[in-house]
Amino acid sequence: MNTTPAAGVSHMNAILPLLRRLVPASLFARLTLILLAGLAAAQLLTTTLTIDERNDVTMGSMIDSVETDVRTAVALLDRLPPGDRAAWLPRLARGGYRFLLTPAEAGPPVSAPHSRRLLDSVTRALARDHAFTAHAVPGNRERLQVHLRLSDGTPLTVDFLPRRGLPLSPWLPWVLAGQLALVALACWLAVRQATRPLRLLAETADALGPDLRPVRMPEQGPSEVVRAARAFNAMQGRIAAYVDERLRMLAAISHDLQTPITRMRLRVELMEDDSQQQRLTEDLQQLEDLARQGIGYARAMHGKPEPARAVDVDDLLDSLVLDYRDGGADVMLTGRCDAPVMTRPGAMRRVVTNLVDNALKYAGAAQVVVERGSAITIRVLDQGPGIPAGALEAVFEPFYRVEDSRNRDTGGSGLGLAIARQLAATLDGMLTLHNRPDGGLEARLVLPFSRT
Amino acid sequence: MPEIDHVLLVDDDHAIRELVTAYLEKQGLRCTAVADGRAMRAALALATPDVIILDIMLPGDDGLALCRELRSGRHRAIPIVMLTARDDETDRIVGLELGADDYMAKPFAARELLARLKAVLRRTRMLPPNMQVTEAAQVIGFGTWRLDVVGRHLLDAEGVEVALSSAEYRLLRVFLDHPQRVLSREQLLTLTHGMDAEAFDRSIDILVSRLRQRLRDDPREPRYIKTLRSEGYVLSCAVTPLGSA
Repeated sequence: MNTTPAAGVSHMNAILPLLRRLVPASLFARLTLILLAGLAAAQLLTTTLTIDERNDVTMGSMIDSVETDVRTAVALLDRLPPGDRAAWLPRLARGGYRFLLTPAEAGPPVSAPHSRRLLDSVTRALARDHAFTAHAVPGNRERLQVHLRLSDGTPLTVDFLPRRGLPLSPWLPWVLAGQLALVALACWLAVRQATRPLRLLAETADALGPDLRPVRMPEQGPSEVVRAARAFNAMQGRIAAYVDERLRMLAAISHDLQTPITRMRLRVELMEDDSQQQRLTEDLQQLEDLARQGIGYARAMHGKPEPARAVDVDDLLDSLVLDYRDGGADVMLTGRCDAPVMTRPGAMRRVVTNLVDNALKYAGAAQVVVERGSAITIRVLDQGPGIPAGALEAVFEPFYRVEDSRNRDTGGSGLGLAIARQLAATLDGMLTLHNRPDGGLEARLVLPFSRT
Repeated sequence: MPEIDHVLLVDDDHAIRELVTAYLEKQGLRCTAVADGRAMRAALALATPDVIILDIMLPGDDGLALCRELRSGRHRAIPIVMLTARDDETDRIVGLELGADDYMAKPFAARELLARLKAVLRRTRMLPPNMQVTEAAQVIGFGTWRLDVVGRHLLDAEGVEVALSSAEYRLLRVFLDHPQRVLSREQLLTLTHGMDAEAFDRSIDILVSRLRQRLRDDPREPRYIKTLRSEGYVLSCAVTPLGSA
């Protein structure tokens, strides 16, 4: 017994998502749909009401005329010789009723309001001279038949046909369709007017790159839009000022650290105690890396973008790898690009350097693989511990640290990847990290290939 | 009989002056440390040092201005090592353009500074460049190539940038400073080694073949760097300083 409500609920549960799916997703479509449906319904209602009203009025006048017409027709038939009556019948017929020389039949009582009005009229016309019966016709409530006998006993039936609407003019549907089209056009224009600034706002917000350089929205159009644009631009300005201040502070601190670090390094080298010297030098190296990366980050975020130039990527990567090898690092290069590319060589070099530094830090060796398809893909592979899948994206955040596997002992400052991603963005490239199936990490830089 | 090298250090940081002086003297060099340009001129009037270390950030005339002054005056022959902030590539580039012989980024290790000083001294003593033709030029032309000294890369005839590794750049600079002059392997090794203190153990032959590859030069019939068996190498084309890029 209690399955019925449950079944009902599950039924509803099935219908609601369907309904939701049928509702269009965009504000543009929704507003257009609502306005159009509302206006079309109103238009349809008006048309129906007008036609009904017109029918009612014409019916009313017809019913009023029925009284005299029926009285005259019955009196005429009564006085005609019985042989001539059949010939007169078509001439006496009107749009809403006809006369038949058929005997009475039985039928359900008259109930339809229109039929009752007719019956009242007929009663007023006939009741004085004739006895009559009236009934509706089975199967059609609105059809009314009145039976009487003429003075010579001949049966006469007045057959009132159900009312029919007056015929519509042939041009009316066209006019209606035209009107609907006009309404639809107006809806579309109005909704577009309302949603266009929203789209522009979204586009402008999207254009705000990871460097948070303000992208201004044009302050024009209707007053609400101008106000929104102004607020949006002001907000961007505040964000930019805030970011700028923080970056300037980071750069200033990092820069000013260099003199004390230089002093400390010199002091360490003048120290006699060799056992502490080595450790202090390492600590200072860490401090120095941190300061340098702080400056690098601030510059990547807010430096002047380097102009794009035609660059031989093979030579760039080869010379970079050779510098590592000359320095004793285990770095390999495979693959070729074999075509000059329009790019920003400084940024590109820096991104790859940071990725190789990272690989060297955690795996001790790095392999750089370059290949060119529709895009240029530069992979920096290592055989290190990799990064937990959940942290592959988070490591791009400044100073993010993966638990345990990449801890402070290894001496990373956590800015290298943030800088690399920032610079990759200035190259219109994409920088992602992937754990390799056989262990180790792959840093993948995908750059658009634009021939020079 | 080697005389004691005399270093003139110009740095406004008192502690750094003291520490560098202490270190260099411990290493057997003589060091005069001054705080600014005025003191530097006074020190130069008293004695001519063998090498000058110039900090870029100085009160009054900054290191770049002093470098330009030194290069145009009677002390133009004294090698200069610039001290720059690590982040400031422009300073470094401008310093080299103005004729500094080398640069060190702060923070630096004293040991590294010493290595650079010795390398610079060795270089200037061993083989003075041909009247410094390429000094202060931002772009040096040779054959169909141009070397951008500021960006430290080559530009081919179509203007495509071809990168050089540090060692390749140093070697090429040596060849461009001494065009059409036979350089022995030993000379090349001494001249290229030390501008950066990183280990540089590859033989000159490997480096030359790498540079030839970079210059798209055929090793069997090289157009630029020719091999003179048992003697060494020679840059066989003419070199023209082209000024700014």
